[in-house]
Amino acid sequence: MATKRFDLFTICNYAFLAIFCLVTIYPVYFVLIGSFNDGNDYMRGGIFLFPREFSLANYQVVLQDDRLYTGFKISILRTVIGTVTSVFFTAMVAYAMSRKNLIARGPYYWIHLITLFFGGGLIPYFLVLKNLHLINSFWVYVIPTLFSVFNMIIFSSFFREIPEEIHESATVDGAGDFRIFLALFIPLSAPVLATVALWNAVGHWNSFFDAMIFTTKGDLMPLQLFLMKMIREADVISNSQYVPPQVQKKISVQTIRMAAIMISTVPILLVYPFLQRFFVTGFMVGSLKG
Amino acid sequence: MHSSTALAKPRQSLIVRFLKQWQIQVMALCGIVFVLAFNYAPMFGIVIAFKKADYSVNLMRSLTEAPWIGWDYFKEFIHDYQFRDILLNTIGLNLLQLLINFPAPIIFAILISEIAHKRFKKIVQSITYFPHFISWIVFGGIIINMLSVETGVIVSALLKLGIISEPVSLLGEPNAFWPLIIITSIIKGLGWGSIIYLAAITSIDPTLYEAATIDGAGRFRRIWHITLPSISGTIIVFFLLSVSNLLNSSFDQLWVFQTPLNLERSEVIDTFVYKIGITQMRYSYTTAVGLFKSAVALILLVGGHLISKKIAGRGIF
Repeated sequence: MATKRFDLFTICNYAFLAIFCLVTIYPVYFVLIGSFNDGNDYMRGGIFLFPREFSLANYQVVLQDDRLYTGFKISILRTVIGTVTSVFFTAMVAYAMSRKNLIARGPYYWIHLITLFFGGGLIPYFLVLKNLHLINSFWVYVIPTLFSVFNMIIFSSFFREIPEEIHESATVDGAGDFRIFLALFIPLSAPVLATVALWNAVGHWNSFFDAMIFTTKGDLMPLQLFLMKMIREADVISNSQYVPPQVQKKISVQTIRMAAIMISTVPILLVYPFLQRFFVTGFMVGSLKG
Repeated sequence: MHSSTALAKPRQSLIVRFLKQWQIQVMALCGIVFVLAFNYAPMFGIVIAFKKADYSVNLMRSLTEAPWIGWDYFKEFIHDYQFRDILLNTIGLNLLQLLINFPAPIIFAILISEIAHKRFKKIVQSITYFPHFISWIVFGGIIINMLSVETGVIVSALLKLGIISEPVSLLGEPNAFWPLIIITSIIKGLGWGSIIYLAAITSIDPTLYEAATIDGAGRFRRIWHITLPSISGTIIVFFLLSVSNLLNSSFDQLWVFQTPLNLERSEVIDTFVYKIGITQMRYSYTTAVGLFKSAVALILLVGGHLISKKIAGRGIF
């Protein structure tokens, strides 16, 4: 669709997209400069483009809160363990469901499908987890998300496209289904597995709802819940009484929040360039197949 | 292939064949056990909506021993002083999101695909996909900072533009809540939501456009007659997905922006169930409220289906 000249539509289109990009990126920039500004000075208002009084005091205070480190630890652990186990478990079920000779495949399929349309709601779900003794355990982040019917369907439709001859020749060589799944199907479907793993990881890293309802212990608090408490409940920095007075003068509730928000975004900023290369190429192939 | 080899052998009994494929049966049953425990058990738990099982923590005991109470909890909810607001907010916010946030990524994908400049296209994509990767807590926290009366940029911008005449806290203003939700979800989700449509657009055969151009079709006619029909399959699939999810509000987003001051426009069934159910442990009552939501969603779906069938001659499904 090459256009020879810049017509009105093209100009408007470029302008609109450029403005939309600014609107998207400016909030992050706004918080970045705020977090580097002296807290008391910030409260005078009017800081929109550059920090007025540069200060690292906000970061100094945030970085000494133990809950930040607990949050990072829990978030990283649940993202890694949760994503790996969920992708593996879901792919395993999907492999079995993609075998045409699986006895009772039809009924199994319907049992899965019904769960996409009906559910018990939050409270009965909560009570089930309580009865399984998952409340206030780290595993409440991992086990309930182990399996996703939606992802299972994506995986198994991909597995079904893998030529049957591969399975047959492996069977002739004496490999059982577990072996075939592990040594052949997993490597063959790496792009789809990676795509679903990405969705999964983003979900794990960003979630706070399950932590908020299923845990009450401070040492199970993921990063997002810590941030939520800071932002919504104005629960700012527990040990601020240990902050020396000269630092105390340079901070404010708002700028401390900004610093905490920035710190929690750093890991994403670090991974984003790598993810990006991945989802513009391999991603589309993976998502379209599903 | 596989079926032919099975046919060549004499037919074995079901049990023998089942045992022979024990490996894939074990794999498949893992999934079945999981959904029985985490999806079907809660479905049976709905029974407690009709039982007086509040404050009880043991599901099995509540199911068997608690006394039946009939529709009492449903009546209680309908007579709750917040009922009208909650119902209006739940339906209103979700319908609005469906009307605005569903078509927006399609338009956005078309706009991006019309950009010939490769580098600019890439920059736009990298920037607009980014907010998807940060949580609603972080994104909401950022917006809350920008909305601050004293230090935020939004209030002073609105003042300068003359849209508001004096500084107000938009978070404390109930009537600003719905626009806030719509605008922030567009900023956060537009880029990412457009990926799938963009993928569909890139797979359109370019010779179609060439032929149309030779025939004298302008840009809008090409979009209308080629782009849109070519991605209509994808559009329909995603429309069905969002319709079937109609009343499932985005809890995370609402929860960050909700304040005691904007409750009359921000309280929806999901936030209400969390507050009353989990924090006050009124399990039976809020199970009934959750069930009420599912019933409303079903009525809306069937109603929408019938109306569209009558008007357009085609239903939702």
